[in-house]
Amino acid sequence: MSTVCFMHGNEAAAEGAIAAGCRFYASYPITPSTEIAEILSGRLPEVGGVFIQMEDEIASMAAVIGASLGGLMSATATSGPGFSLMQENLGFAVASEIPCVIINVQRVGPSTGLPTKAAQGDMMQARWGTHGDHPIIALTPSSVQEAWRLSVRAFALAEKFRTPVILMLDAIVAQLKEKVELPDAPPQVQRPLPTEPPARYKPFAFTEGGVQPLAPFGGDYRYHVTGLLHDEHGFPTEDPALVQRWWAHMGSKIDQHLDEILEWEEDGLDDADVAVVSYGATARAAAHAVTLARKQGLKCGWLKLLTVWPFPEERIRELAAKVPRLVVAEMNLGQIRLEVERLAAGRAQVQGVHRADGLAITPEQIVAALQGQ
Amino acid sequence: MVDDRRFASTWQLLLDSICQTMGRLDPQRFDGPPVILSSLPDLPYTRDGRDGPAPLPFIQGPPGRNIALAIGLRAALPRTPLVLLMNADSVTLGTNHLIHAARRNIGLTVLLLRADLTQHEAAGTMDRTGWGRPAYQQALEGPTRPLDWATALEAALVGRAHLQHPDELATLLTRALHTPGFSLIGVTQDETLPTGVLSQCDWPEYFSAYRDWCVPLRRADASPAAAAVAPRPARSVARQEWRIAGLGGQGVKLAGTVLSEAAGLFEGLWATQRGDYGSATRGGPSMVDVVVGSEPITYPNADHPDVLVLLTQAAADRWAGRARAGAVVVVDDDDVRRCPPGALSLPITALAREHTGKPIAAGMVAAGCVAALTDALSLDAIALSIAANMPAALVAGNLAACQAGHAATRAAQQETSACPGS
Repeated sequence: MSTVCFMHGNEAAAEGAIAAGCRFYASYPITPSTEIAEILSGRLPEVGGVFIQMEDEIASMAAVIGASLGGLMSATATSGPGFSLMQENLGFAVASEIPCVIINVQRVGPSTGLPTKAAQGDMMQARWGTHGDHPIIALTPSSVQEAWRLSVRAFALAEKFRTPVILMLDAIVAQLKEKVELPDAPPQVQRPLPTEPPARYKPFAFTEGGVQPLAPFGGDYRYHVTGLLHDEHGFPTEDPALVQRWWAHMGSKIDQHLDEILEWEEDGLDDADVAVVSYGATARAAAHAVTLARKQGLKCGWLKLLTVWPFPEERIRELAAKVPRLVVAEMNLGQIRLEVERLAAGRAQVQGVHRADGLAITPEQIVAALQGQ
Repeated sequence: MVDDRRFASTWQLLLDSICQTMGRLDPQRFDGPPVILSSLPDLPYTRDGRDGPAPLPFIQGPPGRNIALAIGLRAALPRTPLVLLMNADSVTLGTNHLIHAARRNIGLTVLLLRADLTQHEAAGTMDRTGWGRPAYQQALEGPTRPLDWATALEAALVGRAHLQHPDELATLLTRALHTPGFSLIGVTQDETLPTGVLSQCDWPEYFSAYRDWCVPLRRADASPAAAAVAPRPARSVARQEWRIAGLGGQGVKLAGTVLSEAAGLFEGLWATQRGDYGSATRGGPSMVDVVVGSEPITYPNADHPDVLVLLTQAAADRWAGRARAGAVVVVDDDDVRRCPPGALSLPITALAREHTGKPIAAGMVAAGCVAALTDALSLDAIALSIAANMPAALVAGNLAACQAGHAATRAAQQETSACPGS
């Protein structure tokens, strides 16, 4: 059973968090994400959770890590300037494998930029914003319904793979209101718990492709957590052999589960001479453009990324081998286009449709690109 | 040079004091051993060849950030003693977190080690704070007095102890842990400084107070699942784009909500609503796009509107030319003097004042205009949507304003009261 209601993307992301089982939220309000904080400040106390407005986004991210270590599913939300401040502690969460969800509602940057205007300019920051090589998961909803579903999914992936997951909304999806269907009894995300006795628990076990369940801190399982590279018990190490095993663990826990993590949708690609790759609000303009162009007799299709990191490399390679021309449409100056170009490796011609002036990419712009203009 | 012996003994004395508190904690209030948070360099973080669990649960967070991290941990673990060991990082990187933790009085205890306890190579460059200031800093900065800050911010307990008296330190630490709120204890080996409790403030424990004070903006029964929806059987409605534009304060965004929810929830169609706004909420340009149809809406902007309602001259000048061929443009005669060719000029603001006494209901009149110009919406659906989107006391007036807009539009179409030039 489900209930039909009308809401905007920020509300859907917040309600998705509640439905998933998020019970701690810390943030500093910032346009265009503020509604998420506003809604959770009311909703979390209703379900026995804790909402706190921190002094800044550095502290917000730190508090989220602390609450998650203590056993609560935890999240924060922000926009570009705050996302920049979060990178330090985001790296700590990556290195110490602490599950958490960061919702980044993208506005035009850099710096204060255009605070109320939409962009998709933080895609590479989501991938590489914190220093050092690291795995990350980032999801990009294109509708209010997807904002809810991917919010729930973000918590599921974070908990399963013990990693920060970044839910990348853009200001259009965040503030767009539309109809959504919410299941009355959504499946709650459960954090797995360790089964071995505390004396044998290795909180950071180097399991090839696997993840050790995270025991709630402060209970029977005593362990050491650090942002220094560490051994399986969590104690710092500089032993290159151990560090290499750590890297193998960190990479394989994501790479061996791409089937589960990667998600995209596509349409009209079977006979396509040209295809548009897009994500977020821009994917809606892309679908509209393909409908318009098909009416004009152009054989075209679209692919919409729902998981953007890790990138669906295999699918893009296949596409480039089959479709001679690829158009990448995004509200930035070409961040994902570079990824598509890298994977196409010359097999398909890649053309970008980009803007970063606060306005949505229009279907007409994409139709023109599909027509080769 | 690193003085390992001296530092190891500092750590051992601190650990001894912390372990002493374990037998003295009220079992009614506390569970488990203290969790320690610290980023001090050179603490014995290695396992010393021992296997099995850590001697104490320990978080080595990013320098300075442990205070903020502990606030989240406190929310998750209300009954766990939390002890932070900090040095200069708490009054450099962590100053902001320290101040806010003291202000909020969340239940944490910070042991702040003076520079005389943390002598090692790094301390010379880290301690620029008067806690052993290097000479080049003295001309630039006065001494930093974190215990005074915490006192001024009414932290629950502020005190000082000597490291060389572990029993006294343990006694003060135990008292700090039992004091609800934030405690800051300076730890020194300088025998000339006074010790004991320096300041105590009666202050509600932050989290319980916060929960009591936190007023939900919307109760659970008003959450989004509450709207009673009876979608009509699907019918075929081609994509339609509507745009209402005016000024902040004219009810433009609410009009978009009423129209889109009327279509999406009460007519069983698909609908999107997208507002555009600048930094000003009142008086600046305000616009809302509603797109409806029996197929899911892809592109949500009304770039080529089928219906345009323009409430100001600026909106008319900017948007009238964007209408799709065959579209209907409605303007408010209150402000629009240069009427776009072919537009219907209606007394929108006047009708708003007539039925509600307020110009902010112009948006509701505009919604009625849109309803009169589309086959996608019935007045019944709009009435349900108005009732779902405003307090009961305002429903009748706004519904009347909406119906007036509907009636005026239908009448104007029949009288062909279009602006000249069509």
